[in-house]
Parts: sequence; structure tokens; C-alpha cells
Amino acid sequence: MTENLLPTTTVGSFGKPDYLTKARAQAARGKLGPTELEELERKATAEWIRRQEDIGLDVLVDGEMYRGDMVAYFAERLEGFKIGGLVRSYGNRYYHKPVIAGRVSRPTPMTVSWFEYAQSLTSKPVKGMLTGPYTLLDWSYNEAYPTRRDAVLALAEIVRDEARDLERAGATYIQIDEPAIHARPEEIGIAIEAMGIVTAGLSAKTISHICYGDFAAIYPQVLDLPVDQLDLAMANYGYRWLELFDRNPFTKELAIGIVDVHAHETETVDVAAEGIRKGLRYVRAEKLWPHPDCGLKTRTVEECVEKCVAVVEATKVVRQELAKVPA
Amino acid sequence: MTIKTTVIGAYPKIGEGLDGQELRRALHRHDRGEIGDADLDKVFDDATRGAIGEIEAAGIDVTNDGQIRWDDLLSPFARAWSGVEPGPLERFYDNNTYYRQPVITGPIATDGQSLVRDYTFAKGVAKAKLKAAVPGPLTFAMLTARDDHYRSIEDRTLAAADAIAKEIAGLAAAGARMIDIEDPAVVAAPKYIELAREAYARLAHAGHALALVTYFFPADPVLESLASFPVGVIGIDVRSRDTTAFDRLDAFRTQYVLLGVVDARNTRLETADDVARHAERALKLVPQERLRLATTTSLEYLPRDVARAKLTALVEGARLVTGEKAGAGAPVAGGAPA
Repeated sequence: MTENLLPTTTVGSFGKPDYLTKARAQAARGKLGPTELEELERKATAEWIRRQEDIGLDVLVDGEMYRGDMVAYFAERLEGFKIGGLVRSYGNRYYHKPVIAGRVSRPTPMTVSWFEYAQSLTSKPVKGMLTGPYTLLDWSYNEAYPTRRDAVLALAEIVRDEARDLERAGATYIQIDEPAIHARPEEIGIAIEAMGIVTAGLSAKTISHICYGDFAAIYPQVLDLPVDQLDLAMANYGYRWLELFDRNPFTKELAIGIVDVHAHETETVDVAAEGIRKGLRYVRAEKLWPHPDCGLKTRTVEECVEKCVAVVEATKVVRQELAKVPA
Repeated sequence: MTIKTTVIGAYPKIGEGLDGQELRRALHRHDRGEIGDADLDKVFDDATRGAIGEIEAAGIDVTNDGQIRWDDLLSPFARAWSGVEPGPLERFYDNNTYYRQPVITGPIATDGQSLVRDYTFAKGVAKAKLKAAVPGPLTFAMLTARDDHYRSIEDRTLAAADAIAKEIAGLAAAGARMIDIEDPAVVAAPKYIELAREAYARLAHAGHALALVTYFFPADPVLESLASFPVGVIGIDVRSRDTTAFDRLDAFRTQYVLLGVVDARNTRLETADDVARHAERALKLVPQERLRLATTTSLEYLPRDVARAKLTALVEGARLVTGEKAGAGAPVAGGAPA
């Protein structure tokens, strides 16, 4: 039996189809109403669910067709936040960086109806997708709380409530992304404390995605992050984080990035499979989840499909190799 | 006498309204091949003019060109120098802002002219005193993604220092009298302080008024060491994290102290009183003629309207210390800065 080995998934976001990109731009200019926009977002979500099934991924995502930025989406729905002006992230890319202007609270669930819709379209599990409290703080301006820790812990209660609502709605996988977790390595304790608030009492499998930064600076402390699975960008880093596991063994499930999301070209199946083999030196096959390095939202729909196909095909190759190894 | 004010690093490239986003649109159109290099250059120049204009209008004494053409601190050099190319994206220290990590493929070399065109253009625009900026050698070396040529961080840092010294000489020949060397790695990686000192000895041979500008991290572990670096100005960020710097500024016996007192990474706006209070703390250990006030780092971490408000707070705060009446845009008493 090798089907349960090396379960495949993705990090969360996919490229939006052209019709949706155009519709979002129109909506931003007030030329398209929210109902019409949501209809197109649902259409694009359904298309992505079908594509993921066709590709053969095991654990699906809703693709975040209704989100722009992973922090702004939540900030727009929380009280206490206001949406700030445009700030450059790199090159010619800008985003509206949120401002924590007052005490934060959650008037209504923010992701549950999208989870329910996506899950209704497939019999495969769909992950509930949240941004973690440390990243929500680090990628916002804090004008309201006296310290960063105060703000993170307040946000943790909000993310906890959303996670519990997702679980009540049937989510068996809940991903709480913390890509900013290594922004200030001296604050890893705050991120761990906050994640403890979020995941306490959840029975769903919990996952945290971490990317772009000095992972070595928070390892092995990050193993104390109270989630079942860490989801790491590896291909973009030439798999160098794996060497850290020589000295301090990795103790969680590992979702391993085997294709670089910032390259237009897709890795060959051979190259991607070699990434999985590298991971297998440190993590057993039932605990190793091949996937792309990061969310695929900056790629075209076609590039996203190619990258996901590479992940699934590479996984099949390695599963066959594992099947040949005598027990 | 007024305490002089200045900016550090990059100014926001675009504003909020459609009018303020000309550069963003032009870059998209350039990517799609709809406009050529000459058209894009004109938009870059216009944006540079706009940035300098806003900095001057706030009453800042020493401006720079806003680094409008820079994608990040290292890319202009990774592109211009031979032996280096811009590589994969990585987060720039503890910011949600990314830079291209240099990849070193051979010996680093430059003609020292990488910034001369931009400096000369800005010189023609600026009414205030104008300074230039280059990245620090340690930051360049430490943020390199891959090095196929040099065998150690030491060799790489010194090679970067030689290239930066050439850029400094080129800028000086073009008339630059003040040059910031932005080197956050000096405070981010204090264990390399002696290597940094060796590198700065090579820069000093270029023989011009240099400012070693640090930011993001406290200078605490290296503060006294910095006092013996061969530069005329030391820049310290006293806002990003807790620091003991205020109690130790007397370490700088001859150098100017450029104090980053306005937080360029948070929208929470300082009042003029806040700025004045920081200045007064510093004045207990640094004489007024050797104190300069600045933003902590690049204002590009803020939306443009907030950046403008921060500059106004900085200038009003500086004037408060000397008992002058605050007033954005008013001419600086005492004429041009020294």
C-alpha cells in the first residue's frame, strides 16, 4: 500500500483566471457589484476544485479566489483594523498594508462560508486556511497596542475563534500560516505562545506554512510551535534547511516544497522527485507531504497547473520506488 | 543654530491617487513592451523630481534623490557590476519587503559610474544640499545568495568594499560631498565588526565625507567600535528596538551622530514634541553642532502621505529643540546647512 504515503497538497492560493482579475479591477473601481464579483469568485473556486481533482492532489484548497492579500483579507473583515495606503513589496508590486488602529474584534466568521462551498464541491478534504496572529501583526502597522506581544495575543484569540468555527463546519485540516515567523527570531516565543492559543482544543490536523526568511534562525525552537505539520519552502532554498535536521531531528509532519513558485519554468518530474527523496532522508513517507514551495497566486493558471502536475507526477515516481523496497 | 535634518534611503515611489501612480503604470507598460526605455526614463526622472520636491517642501536640510530607480539596496549594483547578477528574492531583514539577493559569478568589477547619471540629474533638481548613497560592503557580502568566486565572507566583503570605493570616487568626481553608506549588517551581525572596519579602511581611502548608516537593529553591541571607524558620520536607529545608545553617545568624540528618531516603519505618527524629546536626550552627550536628526531608515516602508507627515514631524521637532517656531515648508533659519 503506497497510496497513503506522500500525500500531496498545495499551500493555499492559485492564480486567478483572467476574467476574475478583470472583474476584481472593475469591482475596485466601483464598476462591478459585490454579488456579481462573488459569482465569478465561486465559478473560479469551482474550476480550481475540479482542476485539483483532475491533477490528482490528495488534500485540496479553495484556491483563495476571493482573497487579494493574505493579511489584508482578514484586516478588511476585522474591527480595529483600517486599510492603509500602498506600500511596495518588491519590484513593481504594491499592497495596502493594514493598520491596527484600535482594539481588534471579529464581527462574523471570515472564511467559513468559502470553506463550506469548496468542501461541498468535492469528496476530498479541503483545508481551512488562516493567517496566523504573528504574521497578522508583523505585516500590519501597530498603532493601537503598547507592545507587539499585546497585539499578537489579541489577534490569536480572533484566529482561534475562526479556527473553531472552521472545525465546527467540518474542516479536518486547518492551516494557520506564519510566513513572518522568522522576521524577528528573538520573538519566536511570542509566535509559539500565540499559536498555542489558536490550536488549543482543536481536533483537526493543524498545519503552519513558513517561507522566505532565515529558517535556521528559529530552528529547532520552531519545533515547539503547537501544530502537527510544518509546511516549508525548500526548492527555492536548494533544500538547505534539511541539513539543520542532521543535528536536531525534525519531529513533526513535513510538507516539503519541491517546486519553486517564483520561477516561470516548471521543474522536471525528475528534479521534483529528487526533492522528495531528499526529504525522505529525514521524514517518513507517511509524514512527508510533497507540495509547491508557497502559494501559487503570482503564477498564471496554466503555470499553476504545470507546477501541481509536477508535484503529483514526481510523487507517483517516488511512491513506486517505495513500493519496490521490501518491507 | 538649528539641528539639521536629513532623510535616509528610499522615498515612496508612488502616491495614493491615480496621479501619483504614473511610475507604477509606466513600469507595467514597459514590461508589456508598450513604451520604450526612453519613455520609462522620463517617468523615473519625473518621479525623482517629485520625491525631491516633497522632501524639500517638508523643510529637510539634506535630501537625497529618493532612490526612485532602486528596486532595493543591492540590485542597482548587482545589475551594474560585472561578476554579479541579481538572484532570487528574499525578505529584507525583518520587513515584509523583498530584495534580489546578489549572485557572484566572477571577480567583482565596476567603472565607478553606476550612480553618476542619477546623481547628476538630482543635482540639477535639488535646491537643498544633496547627498548620495551606496550599500555597505558587509551588507552586500552577507546578503549574497551564492558566491562562485570568493572563498570566504572576508574576501567577498573586501571585494565589495573595493567596488563601493570606486562608486564613491565616481560620485565624488561628479560633485557629491556627502555619501551615506547604508550598512545594516554592521549592527545585524556584530561578530563581523572587525571585518567591517577593515572594509571601511578601504572606503576611507576614497577620501570623502562618508556616513556609515545603520538601521533596523540597535547599535548597542558595536557602538564604541563604530566610534573608531574612519567615517565622519555614524547613523543609528534608536526606534526599531530597545537600545542603550542614548546613554553611550559620548563614545563619539569627533564624529557627527545621525540619529534615526522618526520611525520609518510604523504609521503611528510622532509629534514634534516626541522628536524634540529624543533630540534633547541625545544632546546630553552630543554637542548640538554634531547632532543630526533623521528617519530611522527608508521612508519607502510607509505609504507616501504618511511619509510626508513623518518628515513634517521631524522638521518641526528639530526646530522645537532650538526654540524656533514650527511651520512645515518654512525656510530653515540660518540659511543653507553646513
